[in-house]
Amino acid sequence: MAAELPLFHRLLLVSTTLLALTIGGPGEALSADLLLFAGAGLRQPTDQLIEAFEKQAGHVVRVTYGGSGQLMSSILASGQGDLFMPGALFYIEKLETMGRIHSFQKVAAHTAVVGVNKSKADLIRSFDDLARSGVRLALGDPKAMALGRTAQTILSRSSLREQILKNVVVYGATVKQLALYVAQGDADAAIIGRADAFQFKDRIRMIPIPEKYFQPETIAVAVLTDSKNRAEASRFCDFMASPESIAVFEHFGFLALTKAVQRTDP
Amino acid sequence: MNRLFWFPVIVLFFFTAGVLAALFFRLSPAEIIAALGSEETLFALRLSLITSVVSTLLSLILGVPTGYMLARTQFPGKTILDTFLDIPLVITPLIAGVGLLFLFGQGMLGEPLGQWGIHILFTPWGAFLAQTFVACPIVMRSSQAAFERTGPRYEWAAATLGFRPWKVFFRISLPLARQGILAGTILGWTRAMGEFGATLMVAGAIRFKTETLPTAIYLNISSGELGTALSCAWVLMATGFFLLLSLRLIRQAPRPEMFPSR
Repeated sequence: MAAELPLFHRLLLVSTTLLALTIGGPGEALSADLLLFAGAGLRQPTDQLIEAFEKQAGHVVRVTYGGSGQLMSSILASGQGDLFMPGALFYIEKLETMGRIHSFQKVAAHTAVVGVNKSKADLIRSFDDLARSGVRLALGDPKAMALGRTAQTILSRSSLREQILKNVVVYGATVKQLALYVAQGDADAAIIGRADAFQFKDRIRMIPIPEKYFQPETIAVAVLTDSKNRAEASRFCDFMASPESIAVFEHFGFLALTKAVQRTDP
Repeated sequence: MNRLFWFPVIVLFFFTAGVLAALFFRLSPAEIIAALGSEETLFALRLSLITSVVSTLLSLILGVPTGYMLARTQFPGKTILDTFLDIPLVITPLIAGVGLLFLFGQGMLGEPLGQWGIHILFTPWGAFLAQTFVACPIVMRSSQAAFERTGPRYEWAAATLGFRPWKVFFRISLPLARQGILAGTILGWTRAMGEFGATLMVAGAIRFKTETLPTAIYLNISSGELGTALSCAWVLMATGFFLLLSLRLIRQAPRPEMFPSR
């Protein structure tokens, strides 16, 4: 037992040194460890881009996916994290009024479409057909989901709000849940993200929403004031806003901001 | 030795108390009172109580006889069936929900049931079904263990004295296994009250229709309304605590004399 003690001490010394090296002091860290809160709907492009960023910049990005509002609650409650990329600019603006946003950059647009189960393609050919009797519509909860809010705006601007709301059979808490309902045929249609419909393109048909009803949500990535690695976090924002990154977003069914803006101009 | 055992007890107590205190001190009393009286909280409480009580009752109806069969009978494939019935305990609630969604959706049972006017998806029935799915195995497993503990000897004795099988079950087996079944009922009930993942998929998150307490908590966390979410959490925890406490007190009440001696 006594003979093992020096070894134990040596191990302790080595591990404390390693620990000290990994933690490092503020400012002198060579590779930063960034924590990103990202909207669950943005997962596909984000995963791919993080991998590219880690290779290029040598920083580690840890990411937590969740509903945008839920992530906002985590940021407010924990006072931790470096970056925030929700599914709508609204959440960044809300945090900004509370002084929790250091800076942000716009990345891409999250457009909404009417996703229709392919077997109901004859029944629902246009946005206005959502008001037809017998249509079973799924919408997002207006408070809990970015696209739930968007859907309410769209309905209010259309002249068919009351008739369409009568057809709602279910409200969901996540957009993928709505896409699943439509893909399974448990709902005929849902207002979902273009990227979500795109993911189920063999089962869901996309119908555009009239441009006058609809403002695409802007996806932006923000540096949080809680961040202790603001320079590295800003670099990540620059990376996400680069044309190469935007091309990755487009590949997964999102739209570049320039195109989205053109689409909504009257 | 026994004093040493107090240490983990104290750690566990402060762990739970710490979490509760942290949740509590986030809110001002005025906020709590406002959220407690809100229509949304009251609706969610009512729906949660109704669905969880009914699903616990169904779990008892299905789980106790199943537990009895598994404890008393031998048949080929019993080990497989026994293990199989535990599966709802190990699959995550979200996947259970997706499975229930597929089963009761348009592809499978949804259409025939719909023709009979039975709509499971996106209704409170969906919440009831999801809760039953997770509560049943708990009740069944506890009942089985309770029946196994008591053994069949008293049942044999009663049968030789002329009790018919159903009378043996209700007068001998059930009262003897009472404690274990009650414990399973408590666990199943709390599990049903707290069930969220499966409920979300099957019933949706429709405010004032399928909004159980856990759904209300999730919706309000998602919309950044921590006040309402935490108040709902408090209602859920307080209700759970008082239900558990009252059932424990019933359990501790002196047993009725089973074989009155004259």
